[in-house]
Amino acid sequence: MSTPVYQRTVVKVAGESGQGVNSVGEIVAKSLKESGYNVFGYREYPSLIKGGYSCYQIDIADQAIKSSSAEADLLVCLSRVSVHAYLKTIRQNGQLLHILPKLEFSTEEKEILAERQIKVEYVDAGKIALGAGGTGIMANTVMIGILLHLLGLSEQVVLRVLSEEFARKPEVLAANKACVAAGREYQLESITPPVMPTVTNPALDDAYLLTGNHALALGAVAAGVRAYYAYPMTPASSILTYLASWYHQTGMLVRQVDDEISVAQMTIGSMFMGTRALCATSGGGFDLMTESVSLAAMTETPFVCILGQRPGPATGLPTWTATGDLNLAVYSGHGEYSRCVVAASDIESCYDLVQRAFNIAEKYQIPVILLTEKEIAESLFCVTKLPDAVPIERHLVETAELAQLKPSDRYKATETGVSPRWFPGTSPATFDGNGDEHLADGSLTEESEPVKVMYEKRMRKQEVLLSELPEPVLYGEKDPTLVLVGWGSVKNTVVDALPHLAQHYPDQKIAYLHYEYVYPVRTETLKKLADSGAKMVLIENNYTGQLGALLTQHTGMLFPHRILKYDGRPFFIEDVLQEVSKVIAGGTK
Amino acid sequence: MSSHDCHCQPAVHDYFSQNLYTWCTNCGNYGIHAAVKRALTCANIKPDQALLCFDIGCNGNGSDKIDGYRFHGLHGRIIPFACGAAVANRRVKVLAFGGDGGTLGEGLNHLLHAVRGNYNMTFILHNNLNYGLTQGQASPTTKPGMKMNSSPDGITADPIHPMRMILGLEPSFAARTFSGDVRHMTGVLEAAFANPGFSFVEILQSCPTYNKATPHEWYQERTFDVGTLGNYDSKNLVWARELAEDLENKIALGVLYHDLDKKSFHDRLANRQGFTSELVDEVSTRSVADLLKILQ
Repeated sequence: MSTPVYQRTVVKVAGESGQGVNSVGEIVAKSLKESGYNVFGYREYPSLIKGGYSCYQIDIADQAIKSSSAEADLLVCLSRVSVHAYLKTIRQNGQLLHILPKLEFSTEEKEILAERQIKVEYVDAGKIALGAGGTGIMANTVMIGILLHLLGLSEQVVLRVLSEEFARKPEVLAANKACVAAGREYQLESITPPVMPTVTNPALDDAYLLTGNHALALGAVAAGVRAYYAYPMTPASSILTYLASWYHQTGMLVRQVDDEISVAQMTIGSMFMGTRALCATSGGGFDLMTESVSLAAMTETPFVCILGQRPGPATGLPTWTATGDLNLAVYSGHGEYSRCVVAASDIESCYDLVQRAFNIAEKYQIPVILLTEKEIAESLFCVTKLPDAVPIERHLVETAELAQLKPSDRYKATETGVSPRWFPGTSPATFDGNGDEHLADGSLTEESEPVKVMYEKRMRKQEVLLSELPEPVLYGEKDPTLVLVGWGSVKNTVVDALPHLAQHYPDQKIAYLHYEYVYPVRTETLKKLADSGAKMVLIENNYTGQLGALLTQHTGMLFPHRILKYDGRPFFIEDVLQEVSKVIAGGTK
Repeated sequence: MSSHDCHCQPAVHDYFSQNLYTWCTNCGNYGIHAAVKRALTCANIKPDQALLCFDIGCNGNGSDKIDGYRFHGLHGRIIPFACGAAVANRRVKVLAFGGDGGTLGEGLNHLLHAVRGNYNMTFILHNNLNYGLTQGQASPTTKPGMKMNSSPDGITADPIHPMRMILGLEPSFAARTFSGDVRHMTGVLEAAFANPGFSFVEILQSCPTYNKATPHEWYQERTFDVGTLGNYDSKNLVWARELAEDLENKIALGVLYHDLDKKSFHDRLANRQGFTSELVDEVSTRSVADLLKILQ
């Protein structure tokens, strides 16, 4: 299906790493947001500091959106390589603006330009920058000026955003302002203003542009996290950056530790002692942590780790997106134990789930793994407000009861499997947090009966937790004929696509079932929908359909219809429209 | 070292555990436990004010044979666990124990970084020159040529000299003692506890089952306390390095190095200065309004 997504205008700025593509994108996104447009910012970049190609795509809409289009209306290129990389993403009647003298196109590119009737224009932005009193690198700023003028944004907004961006570099602010002004005044020859969404919302002036990692970091602060440990790894690294940049306000202990095993161990140590500590990593780092996850489970020490997914195996595609680590989270660590796996999708869920992860971890004394993805971690979402903070629930022994405790209360086998929990230094009842199998006070045992008692006690927590977790949420039609089932950032694209699907297929009732609480897995809603005769379609950002496999394992239900994507890119809105149309066209399987 | 006939609260028997020891007869660990109990007692640390963290190995099998809050972690990983625990609450004294296998093999990096960070804890290296619990394989400190369980023709790798390595990092506190001298160990440990940063204590430990080459008597004949030199200055790193070298003939024991001026972990945290509370006291809902303002 080549139908363009209506009421969406897409601008893509592309260049090479080190050219400031990200800054340009953020300034443009912020200016748009402050002008009342809903925006979604999506980044593609290589794992390099200089060179390669990268882009910052901004989808502009008249309603809240959380996903990207595969095609751009206007491509602005700052480097030759990026022209060749992204030219084919320009849609019919789209436009290409660039700063590259003597740019040459291949035969194939010329065909695309002709077929799609794409207008191309060169701007000598470097010269304009020098003329305005700036430097060569400020060609970027000239292009910001041109672009924002083209998008019809007021000078006032642009200058305000620019002043904020350069607040820490006042020495270059004046020159950058001059370059923006020069860009605004520049007369383009062939490029014309793209059609912009008609409705703007003045309230967006006060809205926030946040990445998923901002929301995770904010959620950590709200959750009362007092220690954050991490080793840098994309796409989790910026959580460390954000929490470190706020630590004078929060007083949080923010520590870059020397490897992921230490990160996990320090987190468990701090939690054992009685504070709330958080850590985050990506797949490779989490692999290193898994023995420690098993230790947390055995010693019943709450543990919360954010697992920011990117495509593997090995180093894979370090700066791209995927949801290939659900199995890693669900099956991590040796031995059998209770755990919880939750998966964020957007700002609201990132903020909310970190807080809930701690409540679950502390209530059940288990590891909780919070899955996110590069697509969520680093994309820019427009939000008007965060959800309410989740009240902190620690489920500790009451202070008045501490003096009466016995050491054997600590791992007492209760009906729910959850035992009283208290911290070193708070009660005369000392115990051993023993990674070896143990008795109720933590003393080592290898005897058959007590081993069984403790094993069952730990496993019981999984059942009780399952009974308390929410069912997956259904978006779209209430009595659907076709249900997409997914988790993670897939939700954003599918939910954005639902109105378009409804328009294209008035005879179909289409819905999306979203799993935010992934493990232990609730299946009642899923089974009810399947039993109603709705066509069930699995959609995941991986090759094997890992959620599907989990659901099959727990229900026996198979997913003959599977929409899977594993090229490092998120689902674009066109992907969903095309793939769903195929499923519908294929009739009932 | 000075004698330890002090009148202390609590008493040594407060650290008593009902669980039976499972170590070999004459294992160095018995003496080490006795000294740890005595040192904690002399430092006026009650069992419920101490967290004793155990690595995997023979030492770790003692985790439930002594009282106090305890944690028995993974092989090679007890140091970062203990660091994380120690920084969260300075009111609880944190000690960690590890063998030469776990500490210098599996988890060597953790030891080095803990020294660099100068975390507020004491680490006790049980150095018996082999992997005891897995039945006598070579460890990183096994002497060259020794025929071990896993190396019938003798090991071919050069050994790690733990004290040379630690002194190379300019630690805040480094001491060496011997499992056959409870009184000496007690003194060294008490000095280690008093250091606000990371205290490294190497205990030369006899292993009657798997290390026949350097038994109790071997160490007894070769060790001396640096205090007997009369004028030893534990602030002198060059001297410490010189004395620490010999592990064959005249083996120096005692506090080899103590940098009294080195800032401890917490004193280095710019954003935590002025806090009177510990991280464990601070878990509460915090508004993010001010942070959102920064992001707008």
